[in-house]
Amino acid sequence: MPESAAHELMLFGLSFNMETLKMTWMVMAVVVIMSIVATRNMKLVPVGLQNIFELIITSLNSQINANLGKRGVLFAPFLISLFLFLLISNWWGLIPGMASPTNTLNTNLGLALLVVVMLHVLGLYYKGTKYIKHFFEPFAPFVIIKLIEEIAKPITLSFRLFGNIVAGELLIHILPKLLPNIFAEVIPGVIWLAFSTFVGIVQAFVFTMLSMSYLADGVNDEEDA
Amino acid sequence: MINIDGTLLAQLVNFIVLVILLRIFAYKPIMKMLHDREAKIANSIESAENDEKKAKQTLDEYQKQLAEARLKAQEIIDKAMKRAQQEYDASVVQTKQEIEQMRQNAKEDIVRERARAATQLKGEVVSLSMAAASKIIATNIDDAANQKLIGEFIEKLDKNKLGDLSC
Repeated sequence: MPESAAHELMLFGLSFNMETLKMTWMVMAVVVIMSIVATRNMKLVPVGLQNIFELIITSLNSQINANLGKRGVLFAPFLISLFLFLLISNWWGLIPGMASPTNTLNTNLGLALLVVVMLHVLGLYYKGTKYIKHFFEPFAPFVIIKLIEEIAKPITLSFRLFGNIVAGELLIHILPKLLPNIFAEVIPGVIWLAFSTFVGIVQAFVFTMLSMSYLADGVNDEEDA
Repeated sequence: MINIDGTLLAQLVNFIVLVILLRIFAYKPIMKMLHDREAKIANSIESAENDEKKAKQTLDEYQKQLAEARLKAQEIIDKAMKRAQQEYDASVVQTKQEIEQMRQNAKEDIVRERARAATQLKGEVVSLSMAAASKIIATNIDDAANQKLIGEFIEKLDKNKLGDLSC
């Protein structure tokens, strides 16, 4: 997918990729509409979309409670939104004519940086000097390793997702060109789509779980007491 | 794809907007629904437990009443049987007494009759003997001497024979 100049929009000296933004808005619209449909006519005995949303929210909530402790409730909407957005984004590129918002580092690094900045801000807010001190433990020289770790966090988080999604989309585009005709493409194409669907769930889950465990460093009050 | 530009900031804003929207449209209503359901299930369980407890209580009460009723019935039967026994005993005693009385009366009658018969017999024997004797011996003995003679004779009879007469 070559980025043509037509997709670029210059504003305040910054360039914006309109393709990515359009896809992001579509995904956002889909997620919001799905959530409205799921919660519009809720019943005590859940059916259909309500069931799926409840499943996602309760299973993530139990993870959040286990990792973040009692402050987890504050960050549950953030992490649940992250999962839903990444899930639909990852799958969005599998629809012909569409592209995943997560196939660009702009989205992935943005989200990863948001998580890491949240971690440090919340760590300082909740734990104060203790949070700074933990970079120098058990010995002062450890600060080098700790800093590398902190820098690696957003990079690994974003590149993992980026690589998986880009690879999936590229192969979808390349497969027809590698194979002689459309009939030969059916079987590998379907298999690859199925695999990409699976990868989409796994990557959304991995990103969310890692964000959760990173945030746990700053938020969890286990050792506060 | 790999170039980083202003899109990153736009995506941040987009995502934050999405978080806010999802918090309103998905998180809050679903959490509310989950709490409602939890409360409803807890209520149902509690009321079921209450019902069960109540049923058990009723059953216990019923069984207790049944046992009491049984006890009372037994008591009534016992009382009735005792009374019947008493009445039976009393009537038996009374009957025995009556029989005894009747026997006594009969005995007395017999004795009286025998005495009367003996007296009568004695009188007749005297007059018969007198007539017989006066004819047989044809000797004129005055009345007083006759009476004495026969009287002695009868006395002897009395002592030796009359007692063994069966009547």
